[in-house]
Amino acid sequence: MNNESFSKDTSKTKTYSLVELVKAPTTMTDRGPDNSIFSFPVVAIMELLLTLIVVVLLLMMSLGVNAPLEEIANPNTTTDPAKAPWYFMGLQEMLEHGHPTLMAVLMPTLMVLFVVSIPYIDNTREGSGIWFTSKRGKRITLYTALYILLVMPLYVYLDTTFPAREMLRGKLPDFVLQAVFPAILMGIIVGLPLIFVWRYKPSPREMVITLFTVLFVSAVVFTLAGFLFRGPGFELFWPWDMPGNYSPWNNL
Amino acid sequence: MQRIKDFIVNSRVWRSFFRHGWPDNPLDRSLVMTSNIFFHLHSVKVSRKSLRATYSFGLGIMSAIIFGVLSVTGILLMFYYTPTVERAYSYIITLQTLVPFGQLLRNLHRWGAHLMVIIVVFHMVRVFYTGAYKPPREFNWVVGVVLLLMTLGASFTGYLLPWDQLAYWAITVGTSVAAYEPTMGSLVKSTLLGGPEVGQEALTRFYALHIMVIPAAIALLTSLHMWRVRKDGGLAAQDAPDAEMVEE
Repeated sequence: MNNESFSKDTSKTKTYSLVELVKAPTTMTDRGPDNSIFSFPVVAIMELLLTLIVVVLLLMMSLGVNAPLEEIANPNTTTDPAKAPWYFMGLQEMLEHGHPTLMAVLMPTLMVLFVVSIPYIDNTREGSGIWFTSKRGKRITLYTALYILLVMPLYVYLDTTFPAREMLRGKLPDFVLQAVFPAILMGIIVGLPLIFVWRYKPSPREMVITLFTVLFVSAVVFTLAGFLFRGPGFELFWPWDMPGNYSPWNNL
Repeated sequence: MQRIKDFIVNSRVWRSFFRHGWPDNPLDRSLVMTSNIFFHLHSVKVSRKSLRATYSFGLGIMSAIIFGVLSVTGILLMFYYTPTVERAYSYIITLQTLVPFGQLLRNLHRWGAHLMVIIVVFHMVRVFYTGAYKPPREFNWVVGVVLLLMTLGASFTGYLLPWDQLAYWAITVGTSVAAYEPTMGSLVKSTLLGGPEVGQEALTRFYALHIMVIPAAIALLTSLHMWRVRKDGGLAAQDAPDAEMVEE
């Protein structure tokens, strides 16, 4: 075969050379054909459409429902209940279940620290860009979410209606009752799914999915409990069965 | 007609505005993106996979859009508002009753703020479950968490401004939580409020934080966040092998 590409005299025709060996995936190996398109105009149009949808939705909401406005601020009359903005109601709800330093400072700080360090705990590239990474990841998410949806509302309800911490007041030191006791209980609730998943030799990603799901669904449960289910006196009520003319939606 | 168009498009004035031709070919489509300050946050080409609506749900872009809506409505609200204990509340009443579209303006800002918190949280949840925080995107995840906290801060500081009972007691409750931190808590609280309880000093500080400090920080960090998305190779969706994109 007299092909120029395979000429034996490579010194003159060779146009490539080995420069360096790098321990990394190369740019194009093991990839399918370049499945990309020009951003313009597709992305610009999509963003314009999204803008229109968001603005129209907001406009319809704003035409339909007025922002709440109560009487002028009066430091001498407390509202009942006095609630933080809805996104902090999870924190305010936590305060009902233990020592403030544990519930409103330590736990949220640990949560934020965990969330920030997620990419450093799970630094594999496995499953990047795939929802739930795998079928197993999807199952873990689903079962963990169901477990928390069952356990956390129960915890909020039982801790409020049968306050063991109040009944044992005076018999045990306050610190044990308000800080150690709730911390152990929370530890067990959060730890159980982790131990369960641990038996199936999880990847770092699956451990992180378990813990994140526990924390996220718990945050949702506590926020909803505080925002929707707490009425006058910060007691638990059904949102549609609040005493007086109080409606949790007026707090938005 | 054609000659007029050619004359305009080839004039020095037009050429000084637009440094590319009509974007119907690869070169000009690339130049649109690289020569426009708003478009240049995007890459010139984008993977089809990252455009799938069910992958990202457009949540990040939506947060930015709502931030834009909040900036515009916020500036308009600033035209009518004064952050003083004596007058803030009556300005809200005036806005709602006498200013044309004043109530609508306030509604847009209020509901937009709530929606932004929800959308930003959803965005974080989406990024987490798609594993889009994985290398090389670790740092951008951290920036995102800071942006989430900033969003909460923006909403919280704005909550006080109407100076009604709802605002007053929400901020009182919210800031008293900070005081439970044993070492720095009371310092943080008194720095935020400028005094032992919510009053004129708190309103002044919350106003400054709400209209200046936090929005500027969000704008800056959002630019960093988006620029980083592009530098880290676009959305994580394009890292995924094609076969596994099919959902069960």
